[in-house]
Amino acid sequence: MNRAFDYRAATSFSEALGWLAEMGSNARPLAGGTDLLVNVRAGLMTPTCVIDLKPIPEITTLSFDEGEGLLIGAGVTINEIIESEVIQQQYPLLAICAHQLASHQVRNRATVVGNIVNASPCADMAPPLLCLQAEIEIQGNDGARWVPCATFFTGAKQTILKPGELVSRIRVPAAMQGAKGGYKKLKRIQGHDLGIVGVALAALDSAVHIAVSSAAATPVLVKPFSRTDDLGTVVAAVCEAISPIDDVRCTKDYRLFMAETYVKRLWQEVVA
Amino acid sequence: MKVKTTVNGQVYERETVPYKTLLHFIREEIGLTGTKEGCAAGECGACTVILNGKPVNSCLVLAVEANDAVIETVEGEGAGNELSDLQAAFERHHATQCGFCTPGMLMSIRDLLRRHPKPTVEQIKAGIEGNFCRCTGYVQVIEAVLDATGQSAKKGELKHVS
Ligand SMILES: Cc1cc2nc3c(=O)[nH]c(=O)nc-3n(C[C@@H](O)[C@@H](O)[C@H](O)COP(=O)(O)OP(=O)(O)OC[C@H]3O[C@@H](n4cnc5c(N)ncnc54)[C@H](O)[C@@H]3O)c2cc1C
Ligand code: FES
Ligand code: FES
Repeated sequence: MNRAFDYRAATSFSEALGWLAEMGSNARPLAGGTDLLVNVRAGLMTPTCVIDLKPIPEITTLSFDEGEGLLIGAGVTINEIIESEVIQQQYPLLAICAHQLASHQVRNRATVVGNIVNASPCADMAPPLLCLQAEIEIQGNDGARWVPCATFFTGAKQTILKPGELVSRIRVPAAMQGAKGGYKKLKRIQGHDLGIVGVALAALDSAVHIAVSSAAATPVLVKPFSRTDDLGTVVAAVCEAISPIDDVRCTKDYRLFMAETYVKRLWQEVVA
Repeated sequence: MKVKTTVNGQVYERETVPYKTLLHFIREEIGLTGTKEGCAAGECGACTVILNGKPVNSCLVLAVEANDAVIETVEGEGAGNELSDLQAAFERHHATQCGFCTPGMLMSIRDLLRRHPKPTVEQIKAGIEGNFCRCTGYVQVIEAVLDATGQSAKKGELKHVS
Protein backbone atom coordinates (compact mmCIF):
# COMPACT_ATOMS: atom_id res chain seq x y z
CA MET A 1 0.00 0.00 0.00
CA ASN A 2 1.20 3.49 -0.85
CA ARG A 3 1.65 6.06 1.89
CA ALA A 4 -1.18 8.59 1.89
CA PHE A 5 -1.26 11.50 -0.55
CA ASP A 6 -3.88 13.65 -2.19
CA TYR A 7 -4.64 13.69 -5.93
CA ARG A 8 -5.58 16.62 -8.14
CA ALA A 9 -6.26 16.49 -11.87
CA ALA A 10 -5.01 19.62 -13.65
CA THR A 11 -6.85 20.74 -16.75
CA SER A 12 -4.36 23.45 -17.78
CA PHE A 13 -0.70 24.30 -17.20
CA SER A 14 -1.68 27.49 -15.36
CA GLU A 15 -3.83 25.50 -12.96
CA ALA A 16 -1.00 22.99 -12.32
CA LEU A 17 1.54 25.82 -11.87
CA GLY A 18 -0.81 27.56 -9.41
CA TRP A 19 -1.15 24.42 -7.30
CA LEU A 20 2.62 23.83 -7.37
CA ALA A 21 3.19 27.40 -6.16
CA GLU A 22 0.61 26.95 -3.42
CA MET A 23 1.90 23.60 -2.13
CA GLY A 24 5.62 24.00 -2.76
CA SER A 25 7.77 20.88 -2.54
CA ASN A 26 4.90 18.89 -1.01
CA ALA A 27 3.35 18.58 -4.46
CA ARG A 28 4.69 16.50 -7.36
CA PRO A 29 3.59 16.47 -10.99
CA LEU A 30 2.37 13.08 -12.21
CA ALA A 31 2.69 11.95 -15.82
CA GLY A 32 2.89 8.19 -16.45
CA GLY A 33 3.89 7.52 -12.86
CA THR A 34 6.47 4.87 -13.76
CA ASP A 35 9.17 6.68 -11.81
CA LEU A 36 7.04 8.68 -9.40
CA LEU A 37 4.91 5.83 -8.06
CA VAL A 38 7.94 3.52 -7.75
CA ASN A 39 9.75 6.24 -5.78
CA VAL A 40 6.75 6.92 -3.56
CA ARG A 41 6.36 3.25 -2.76
CA ALA A 42 10.08 2.98 -1.95
CA GLY A 43 9.80 6.00 0.34
CA LEU A 44 12.27 8.01 -1.79
CA MET A 45 9.63 10.65 -2.53
CA THR A 46 6.98 11.69 -0.04
CA PRO A 47 4.57 14.09 -1.78
CA THR A 48 1.43 15.04 0.11
CA CYS A 49 -0.26 15.71 -3.22
CA VAL A 50 0.25 14.50 -6.78
CA ILE A 51 -0.86 16.75 -9.62
CA ASP A 52 -1.94 14.72 -12.62
CA LEU A 53 -0.95 16.49 -15.85
CA LYS A 54 -2.67 13.99 -18.16
CA PRO A 55 -6.04 15.82 -18.27
CA ILE A 56 -4.32 18.91 -19.79
CA PRO A 57 -5.49 18.72 -23.43
CA GLU A 58 -2.40 20.04 -25.22
CA ILE A 59 0.05 17.61 -23.62
CA THR A 60 -0.91 14.91 -26.13
CA THR A 61 0.65 16.99 -28.96
CA LEU A 62 2.86 15.00 -31.28
CA SER A 63 3.26 17.02 -34.47
CA PHE A 64 5.75 17.87 -37.17
CA ASP A 65 6.06 20.73 -39.62
CA GLU A 66 8.91 22.30 -41.54
CA GLY A 67 8.86 25.45 -39.44
CA GLU A 68 8.47 24.16 -35.89
CA GLY A 69 10.10 20.79 -36.37
CA LEU A 70 8.91 17.91 -34.19
CA LEU A 71 6.93 18.81 -31.07
CA ILE A 72 6.49 16.24 -28.31
CA GLY A 73 3.99 17.18 -25.59
CA ALA A 74 4.50 16.24 -21.94
CA GLY A 75 1.91 13.46 -22.17
CA VAL A 76 3.37 11.62 -25.16
CA THR A 77 4.27 8.07 -24.21
CA ILE A 78 7.27 6.03 -25.28
CA ASN A 79 5.05 3.68 -27.30
CA GLU A 80 3.50 6.65 -29.12
CA ILE A 81 7.03 7.60 -30.22
CA ILE A 82 7.62 4.07 -31.52
CA GLU A 83 4.29 4.04 -33.40
CA SER A 84 4.61 7.52 -34.95
CA GLU A 85 5.18 7.35 -38.71
CA VAL A 86 6.79 10.75 -38.94
CA ILE A 87 9.27 9.76 -36.24
CA GLN A 88 10.03 6.44 -37.92
CA GLN A 89 10.70 8.26 -41.18
CA GLN A 90 12.29 11.56 -40.14
CA TYR A 91 13.75 10.94 -36.67
CA PRO A 92 14.35 7.17 -36.56
CA LEU A 93 16.87 7.46 -33.69
CA LEU A 94 14.04 8.45 -31.32
CA ALA A 95 12.07 5.31 -32.16
CA ILE A 96 15.17 3.09 -31.96
CA CYS A 97 15.98 4.35 -28.44
CA ALA A 98 12.34 4.26 -27.32
CA HIS A 99 12.29 0.58 -28.21
CA GLN A 100 15.11 -0.03 -25.74
CA LEU A 101 13.24 1.52 -22.81
CA ALA A 102 11.60 -0.86 -20.31
CA SER A 103 8.78 -3.25 -21.30
CA HIS A 104 5.71 -2.86 -23.50
CA GLN A 105 3.47 -2.27 -20.47
CA VAL A 106 5.77 0.40 -18.98
CA ARG A 107 6.14 2.07 -22.41
CA ASN A 108 2.35 2.43 -22.60
CA ARG A 109 2.48 4.75 -19.55
CA ALA A 110 6.00 6.22 -19.43
CA THR A 111 6.39 9.62 -21.10
CA VAL A 112 9.42 11.07 -22.88
CA VAL A 113 9.22 14.22 -20.77
CA GLY A 114 9.01 12.20 -17.52
CA ASN A 115 12.08 10.24 -18.63
CA ILE A 116 14.23 13.36 -18.99
CA VAL A 117 12.81 15.17 -15.93
CA ASN A 118 13.65 12.10 -13.85
CA ALA A 119 17.18 12.68 -15.19
CA SER A 120 18.64 9.27 -14.50
CA PRO A 121 22.13 8.88 -16.01
CA CYS A 122 20.70 5.82 -17.80
CA ALA A 123 17.58 7.53 -19.23
CA ASP A 124 17.23 6.02 -22.69
CA MET A 125 15.50 9.04 -24.26
CA ALA A 126 18.29 11.43 -23.27
CA PRO A 127 20.97 10.32 -25.78
CA PRO A 128 18.72 10.64 -28.86
CA LEU A 129 17.36 14.03 -27.75
CA LEU A 130 20.92 15.25 -27.13
CA CYS A 131 22.16 13.96 -30.50
CA LEU A 132 19.19 15.56 -32.31
CA GLN A 133 19.80 19.00 -30.72
CA ALA A 134 16.43 18.99 -28.97
CA GLU A 135 15.15 21.90 -26.91
CA ILE A 136 12.99 21.75 -23.81
CA GLU A 137 10.13 24.16 -23.08
CA ILE A 138 9.91 25.09 -19.40
CA GLN A 139 6.83 26.78 -17.95
CA GLY A 140 6.86 28.74 -14.73
CA ASN A 141 4.59 31.25 -13.14
CA ASP A 142 6.46 34.02 -14.95
CA GLY A 143 6.15 32.53 -18.41
CA ALA A 144 7.75 29.98 -20.71
CA ARG A 145 11.31 29.57 -22.00
CA TRP A 146 13.16 27.19 -24.29
CA VAL A 147 16.48 25.68 -23.22
CA PRO A 148 18.80 23.33 -25.13
CA CYS A 149 18.57 19.73 -23.93
CA ALA A 150 22.38 19.89 -23.63
CA THR A 151 22.03 22.29 -20.66
CA PHE A 152 19.04 20.55 -19.05
CA PHE A 153 20.84 17.90 -16.98
CA THR A 154 22.92 19.25 -14.09
CA GLY A 155 23.71 16.11 -12.08
CA ALA A 156 22.46 12.61 -11.26
CA LYS A 157 18.67 13.03 -11.06
CA GLN A 158 19.17 16.82 -11.19
CA THR A 159 17.95 19.26 -13.81
CA ILE A 160 17.83 23.01 -14.28
CA LEU A 161 14.10 23.00 -13.41
CA LYS A 162 13.41 25.36 -10.53
CA PRO A 163 10.88 24.42 -7.85
CA GLY A 164 7.36 24.85 -9.18
CA GLU A 165 8.37 24.69 -12.86
CA LEU A 166 7.04 22.25 -15.43
CA VAL A 167 8.25 20.93 -18.75
CA SER A 168 5.52 21.43 -21.33
CA ARG A 169 7.07 20.31 -24.62
CA ILE A 170 10.19 19.09 -26.36
CA ARG A 171 11.15 20.40 -29.80
CA VAL A 172 13.43 18.57 -32.19
CA PRO A 173 14.55 20.99 -34.91
CA ALA A 174 13.32 20.49 -38.46
CA ALA A 175 16.97 20.81 -39.51
CA MET A 176 17.66 17.41 -37.93
CA GLN A 177 15.03 15.57 -39.97
CA GLY A 178 16.37 12.66 -41.93
CA ALA A 179 19.29 12.08 -39.57
CA LYS A 180 20.35 8.45 -39.64
CA GLY A 181 20.96 6.95 -36.25
CA GLY A 182 21.76 3.98 -34.07
CA TYR A 183 21.77 3.11 -30.37
CA LYS A 184 23.71 0.40 -28.58
CA LYS A 185 22.65 -0.36 -25.02
CA LEU A 186 24.48 -2.87 -22.86
CA LYS A 187 22.08 -4.87 -20.67
CA ARG A 188 22.35 -8.02 -18.61
CA ILE A 189 19.53 -9.69 -20.55
CA GLN A 190 17.89 -9.30 -23.96
CA GLY A 191 14.55 -8.38 -22.38
CA HIS A 192 13.76 -5.26 -20.41
CA ASP A 193 16.60 -4.01 -18.24
CA LEU A 194 18.22 -0.71 -17.35
CA GLY A 195 21.35 0.10 -19.34
CA ILE A 196 24.87 -0.55 -18.08
CA VAL A 197 26.23 1.77 -20.74
CA GLY A 198 24.59 3.15 -23.89
CA VAL A 199 25.83 5.01 -26.96
CA ALA A 200 23.63 6.85 -29.47
CA LEU A 201 24.85 8.28 -32.77
CA ALA A 202 23.08 10.54 -35.27
CA ALA A 203 24.55 11.41 -38.67
CA LEU A 204 23.26 14.13 -40.98
CA ASP A 205 25.14 15.52 -43.98
CA SER A 206 28.73 15.88 -42.81
CA ALA A 207 28.01 16.13 -39.07
CA VAL A 208 27.99 13.26 -36.59
CA HIS A 209 26.59 13.61 -33.05
CA ILE A 210 27.30 11.12 -30.28
CA ALA A 211 25.74 10.91 -26.80
CA VAL A 212 26.39 8.40 -24.03
CA SER A 213 24.17 7.17 -21.18
CA SER A 214 25.15 5.49 -17.87
CA ALA A 215 28.73 6.68 -18.14
CA ALA A 216 28.73 9.86 -16.03
CA ALA A 217 26.47 11.63 -13.52
CA THR A 218 24.35 12.84 -16.43
CA PRO A 219 23.77 11.64 -19.98
CA VAL A 220 26.66 13.15 -21.97
CA LEU A 221 26.63 14.88 -25.36
CA VAL A 222 30.10 14.76 -26.89
CA LYS A 223 31.28 17.66 -29.09
CA PRO A 224 30.14 17.27 -32.73
CA PHE A 225 32.27 15.31 -35.18
CA SER A 226 32.63 15.31 -38.91
CA ARG A 227 32.18 12.28 -41.14
CA THR A 228 35.77 12.65 -42.29
CA ASP A 229 37.19 12.51 -38.75
CA ASP A 230 39.53 9.68 -37.96
CA LEU A 231 37.72 6.98 -35.91
CA GLY A 232 40.60 6.74 -33.43
CA THR A 233 40.27 10.46 -32.66
CA VAL A 234 36.49 10.10 -32.26
CA VAL A 235 36.85 7.19 -29.83
CA ALA A 236 39.44 9.10 -27.80
CA ALA A 237 37.20 12.17 -27.61
CA VAL A 238 34.22 10.11 -26.43
CA CYS A 239 36.28 8.37 -23.72
CA GLU A 240 37.59 11.78 -22.66
CA ALA A 241 34.07 13.25 -22.38
CA ILE A 242 32.63 10.52 -20.14
CA SER A 243 33.54 9.70 -16.55
CA PRO A 244 32.26 6.21 -15.77
CA ILE A 245 32.50 4.75 -12.26
CA ASP A 246 32.65 1.31 -10.65
CA ASP A 247 29.26 0.36 -9.25
CA VAL A 248 27.05 -2.63 -8.52
CA ARG A 249 26.32 -3.20 -12.18
CA CYS A 250 29.84 -3.17 -13.62
CA THR A 251 33.31 -1.69 -13.43
CA LYS A 252 34.54 1.59 -14.80
CA ASP A 253 36.93 -0.22 -17.14
CA TYR A 254 34.19 -2.38 -18.61
CA ARG A 255 32.03 0.70 -19.21
CA LEU A 256 34.90 2.46 -20.99
CA PHE A 257 35.67 -0.63 -23.04
CA MET A 258 32.04 -1.05 -24.12
CA ALA A 259 31.56 2.65 -24.87
CA GLU A 260 34.61 2.45 -27.15
CA THR A 261 33.34 -0.74 -28.80
CA TYR A 262 29.89 0.74 -29.39
CA VAL A 263 31.28 3.95 -30.90
CA LYS A 264 33.32 1.87 -33.35
CA ARG A 265 30.36 -0.34 -34.27
CA LEU A 266 27.95 2.57 -34.70
CA TRP A 267 30.48 4.45 -36.83
CA GLN A 268 30.81 1.41 -39.07
CA GLU A 269 27.05 0.85 -39.29
CA VAL A 270 25.77 4.42 -39.62
CA VAL A 271 28.60 6.65 -40.84
CA ALA A 272 31.01 4.54 -42.90
CA MET B 1 -12.84 9.96 -4.13
CA LYS B 2 -15.38 8.33 -6.40
CA VAL B 3 -14.09 6.05 -9.16
CA LYS B 4 -16.35 4.67 -11.86
CA THR B 5 -14.86 2.08 -14.22
CA THR B 6 -16.06 -0.56 -16.61
CA VAL B 7 -14.33 -3.85 -15.90
CA ASN B 8 -14.94 -6.73 -18.32
CA GLY B 9 -18.09 -4.99 -19.54
CA GLN B 10 -19.57 -4.34 -16.10
CA VAL B 11 -19.75 -0.88 -14.55
CA TYR B 12 -18.44 -0.47 -10.99
CA GLU B 13 -18.65 2.66 -8.90
CA ARG B 14 -16.64 2.74 -5.67
CA GLU B 15 -15.41 5.24 -3.13
CA THR B 16 -11.62 5.00 -2.69
CA VAL B 17 -8.58 6.81 -1.29
CA PRO B 18 -6.51 8.74 -3.88
CA TYR B 19 -3.33 6.77 -3.19
CA LYS B 20 -4.75 3.31 -3.88
CA THR B 21 -3.27 1.58 -6.92
CA LEU B 22 -5.56 0.35 -9.66
CA LEU B 23 -4.32 -3.16 -8.81
CA HIS B 24 -5.49 -2.92 -5.19
CA PHE B 25 -8.72 -1.25 -6.30
CA ILE B 26 -9.53 -4.14 -8.66
CA ARG B 27 -8.66 -6.76 -6.05
CA GLU B 28 -10.00 -5.15 -2.89
CA GLU B 29 -12.80 -2.79 -3.91
CA ILE B 30 -14.17 -4.64 -6.93
CA GLY B 31 -13.26 -8.07 -5.58
CA LEU B 32 -11.70 -9.49 -8.74
CA THR B 33 -8.61 -11.24 -7.38
CA GLY B 34 -7.37 -12.87 -10.60
CA THR B 35 -4.90 -10.03 -11.18
CA LYS B 36 -1.82 -10.57 -9.01
CA GLU B 37 0.73 -8.42 -7.23
CA GLY B 38 4.32 -9.63 -7.62
CA CYS B 39 6.83 -6.81 -7.31
CA ALA B 40 4.51 -3.76 -7.08
CA ALA B 41 7.18 -1.84 -9.01
CA GLY B 42 6.52 -2.39 -12.71
CA GLU B 43 9.08 -5.17 -13.12
CA CYS B 44 7.22 -8.47 -13.19
CA GLY B 45 3.98 -7.95 -15.12
CA ALA B 46 1.82 -10.13 -12.82
CA CYS B 47 -0.51 -7.15 -12.42
CA THR B 48 -1.00 -6.53 -16.16
CA VAL B 49 -4.51 -5.41 -17.14
CA ILE B 50 -5.72 -3.83 -20.37
CA LEU B 51 -6.58 -0.19 -19.69
CA ASN B 52 -8.46 1.63 -22.48
CA GLY B 53 -7.11 -0.89 -24.98
CA LYS B 54 -3.50 -0.94 -23.78
CA PRO B 55 -1.77 -3.36 -21.42
CA VAL B 56 -0.31 -1.59 -18.38
CA ASN B 57 1.15 -2.51 -14.99
CA SER B 58 -1.83 -1.85 -12.72
CA CYS B 59 0.56 -1.53 -9.75
CA LEU B 60 1.84 1.70 -11.33
CA VAL B 61 -1.55 3.28 -12.02
CA LEU B 62 -3.68 4.99 -9.40
CA ALA B 63 -7.32 3.94 -9.22
CA VAL B 64 -8.33 7.60 -9.54
CA GLU B 65 -6.44 7.78 -12.85
CA ALA B 66 -8.75 5.05 -14.16
CA ASN B 67 -11.94 6.99 -13.55
CA ASP B 68 -14.22 6.49 -16.60
CA ALA B 69 -11.78 3.92 -17.99
CA VAL B 70 -12.52 0.62 -19.68
CA ILE B 71 -10.54 -2.23 -18.15
CA GLU B 72 -10.04 -5.86 -19.09
CA THR B 73 -8.75 -8.41 -16.59
CA VAL B 74 -8.19 -12.16 -16.68
CA GLU B 75 -11.76 -12.68 -15.42
CA GLY B 76 -12.92 -11.46 -18.85
CA GLU B 77 -11.24 -14.44 -20.53
CA GLY B 78 -13.61 -17.36 -21.02
CA ALA B 79 -17.28 -17.38 -20.07
CA GLY B 80 -18.56 -19.03 -16.90
CA ASN B 81 -16.68 -22.31 -16.61
CA GLU B 82 -15.64 -22.27 -20.27
CA LEU B 83 -11.99 -21.48 -20.85
CA SER B 84 -11.04 -18.99 -23.55
CA ASP B 85 -9.09 -20.25 -26.57
CA LEU B 86 -5.92 -18.92 -25.00
CA GLN B 87 -6.59 -20.41 -21.56
CA ALA B 88 -7.34 -23.79 -23.14
CA ALA B 89 -4.07 -23.66 -25.07
CA PHE B 90 -2.23 -22.76 -21.86
CA GLU B 91 -3.75 -25.81 -20.20
CA ARG B 92 -2.87 -28.13 -23.11
CA HIS B 93 0.74 -26.95 -23.17
CA HIS B 94 1.37 -26.82 -19.42
CA ALA B 95 2.02 -23.09 -19.84
CA THR B 96 0.73 -22.61 -16.32
CA GLN B 97 2.57 -24.15 -13.39
CA CYS B 98 2.20 -22.19 -10.15
CA GLY B 99 -0.04 -19.86 -12.15
CA PHE B 100 1.00 -16.62 -10.51
CA CYS B 101 2.19 -15.00 -13.74
CA THR B 102 -0.67 -16.39 -15.85
CA PRO B 103 -3.34 -13.68 -15.43
CA GLY B 104 -0.87 -10.97 -16.48
CA MET B 105 0.64 -13.15 -19.19
CA LEU B 106 -2.82 -13.75 -20.68
CA MET B 107 -3.56 -10.01 -20.77
CA SER B 108 -0.29 -9.25 -22.56
CA ILE B 109 -0.95 -12.03 -25.07
CA ARG B 110 -4.57 -10.93 -25.60
CA ASP B 111 -3.20 -7.50 -26.54
CA LEU B 112 -0.44 -9.04 -28.70
CA LEU B 113 -3.04 -11.03 -30.68
CA ARG B 114 -5.00 -7.85 -31.40
CA ARG B 115 -1.85 -6.27 -32.84
CA HIS B 116 -0.53 -9.47 -34.47
CA PRO B 117 -3.24 -12.12 -34.98
CA LYS B 118 -0.61 -14.69 -36.07
CA PRO B 119 2.49 -13.68 -34.15
CA THR B 120 5.93 -15.07 -34.93
CA VAL B 121 8.03 -16.55 -32.11
CA GLU B 122 10.00 -13.27 -32.00
CA GLN B 123 6.78 -11.25 -31.74
CA ILE B 124 5.54 -13.51 -28.94
CA LYS B 125 8.82 -13.06 -27.06
CA ALA B 126 8.58 -9.27 -27.45
CA GLY B 127 4.91 -9.37 -26.42
CA ILE B 128 5.67 -11.08 -23.10
CA GLU B 129 8.92 -9.17 -22.46
CA GLY B 130 7.30 -7.47 -19.45
CA ASN B 131 5.91 -10.68 -17.92
CA PHE B 132 8.22 -12.74 -15.75
CA CYS B 133 7.56 -16.44 -15.24
CA ARG B 134 9.68 -18.27 -12.69
CA CYS B 135 8.28 -21.72 -13.47
CA THR B 136 7.78 -22.59 -17.12
CA GLY B 137 10.90 -21.23 -18.78
CA TYR B 138 8.55 -19.54 -21.32
CA VAL B 139 8.83 -22.28 -23.96
CA GLN B 140 5.43 -23.70 -23.08
CA VAL B 141 3.89 -20.24 -23.16
CA ILE B 142 5.26 -19.61 -26.66
CA GLU B 143 3.98 -23.01 -27.84
CA ALA B 144 0.56 -22.32 -26.36
CA VAL B 145 0.31 -19.05 -28.28
CA LEU B 146 1.43 -20.72 -31.52
CA ASP B 147 -1.19 -23.42 -30.96
CA ALA B 148 -3.97 -20.97 -30.07
CA THR B 149 -3.25 -19.09 -33.30
CA GLY B 150 -3.32 -22.20 -35.49
CA GLN B 151 0.44 -22.32 -35.98
CA SER B 152 1.12 -25.69 -34.37
CA ALA B 153 1.69 -28.64 -36.71
CA LYS B 154 -0.80 -30.66 -34.67
CA LYS B 155 -3.29 -29.13 -32.26
CA GLY B 156 -2.23 -29.88 -28.71
CA GLU B 157 1.15 -31.28 -29.76
CA LEU B 158 3.55 -31.05 -26.80
CA LYS B 159 6.79 -30.07 -28.53
CA HIS B 160 8.74 -29.44 -25.38
CA VAL B 161 8.35 -32.98 -24.02
CA SER B 162 8.83 -34.85 -27.28
C1 LIG C 1 10.13 -1.70 -14.59
C2 LIG C 1 10.68 -0.41 -15.13
C3 LIG C 1 11.68 -0.46 -16.09
C4 LIG C 1 12.23 0.72 -16.58
N1 LIG C 1 13.20 0.63 -17.53
C5 LIG C 1 13.72 1.77 -18.05
C6 LIG C 1 14.71 1.70 -19.08
O1 LIG C 1 15.10 0.63 -19.55
N2 LIG C 1 15.21 2.89 -19.54
C7 LIG C 1 14.80 4.09 -19.06
O2 LIG C 1 15.28 5.13 -19.53
N3 LIG C 1 13.85 4.19 -18.12
C8 LIG C 1 13.31 3.05 -17.61
N4 LIG C 1 12.35 3.14 -16.63
C9 LIG C 1 11.95 4.46 -16.17
C10 LIG C 1 10.98 5.12 -17.15
O3 LIG C 1 9.79 4.36 -17.18
C11 LIG C 1 10.71 6.51 -16.68
O4 LIG C 1 11.89 7.28 -16.66
C12 LIG C 1 9.64 7.23 -17.50
O5 LIG C 1 10.04 7.56 -18.81
C13 LIG C 1 9.19 8.46 -16.76
O6 LIG C 1 8.03 8.97 -17.35
P1 LIG C 1 6.63 8.97 -16.56
O7 LIG C 1 5.66 9.62 -17.48
O8 LIG C 1 6.30 7.64 -16.05
O9 LIG C 1 7.03 9.96 -15.38
P2 LIG C 1 6.51 10.11 -13.90
O10 LIG C 1 6.90 8.95 -13.08
O11 LIG C 1 5.07 10.52 -13.90
O12 LIG C 1 7.39 11.38 -13.51
C14 LIG C 1 8.80 11.32 -13.41
C15 LIG C 1 9.31 12.52 -12.65
O13 LIG C 1 9.16 13.70 -13.42
C16 LIG C 1 8.25 14.60 -12.80
N5 LIG C 1 7.45 15.10 -13.92
C17 LIG C 1 6.67 14.36 -14.77
N6 LIG C 1 6.19 15.14 -15.75
C18 LIG C 1 6.67 16.39 -15.53
C19 LIG C 1 6.55 17.63 -16.24
N7 LIG C 1 5.83 17.75 -17.36
N8 LIG C 1 7.19 18.72 -15.74
C20 LIG C 1 7.94 18.62 -14.61
N9 LIG C 1 8.09 17.47 -13.91
C21 LIG C 1 7.47 16.36 -14.38
C22 LIG C 1 7.52 13.81 -11.75
O14 LIG C 1 7.13 14.61 -10.66
C23 LIG C 1 8.56 12.79 -11.35
O15 LIG C 1 9.47 13.32 -10.45
C24 LIG C 1 11.77 1.97 -16.12
C25 LIG C 1 10.74 2.02 -15.19
C26 LIG C 1 10.19 0.84 -14.68
C27 LIG C 1 9.10 0.92 -13.67
S1 FES D 1 3.18 -6.27 -9.53
FE1 FES D 1 3.02 -4.80 -11.09
S2 FES D 1 4.70 -5.28 -12.34
FE2 FES D 1 5.01 -6.59 -10.65
S1 FES E 1 3.73 -20.35 -13.81
FE1 FES E 1 4.74 -19.85 -11.97
S2 FES E 1 5.52 -17.90 -12.42
FE2 FES E 1 4.75 -18.51 -14.30
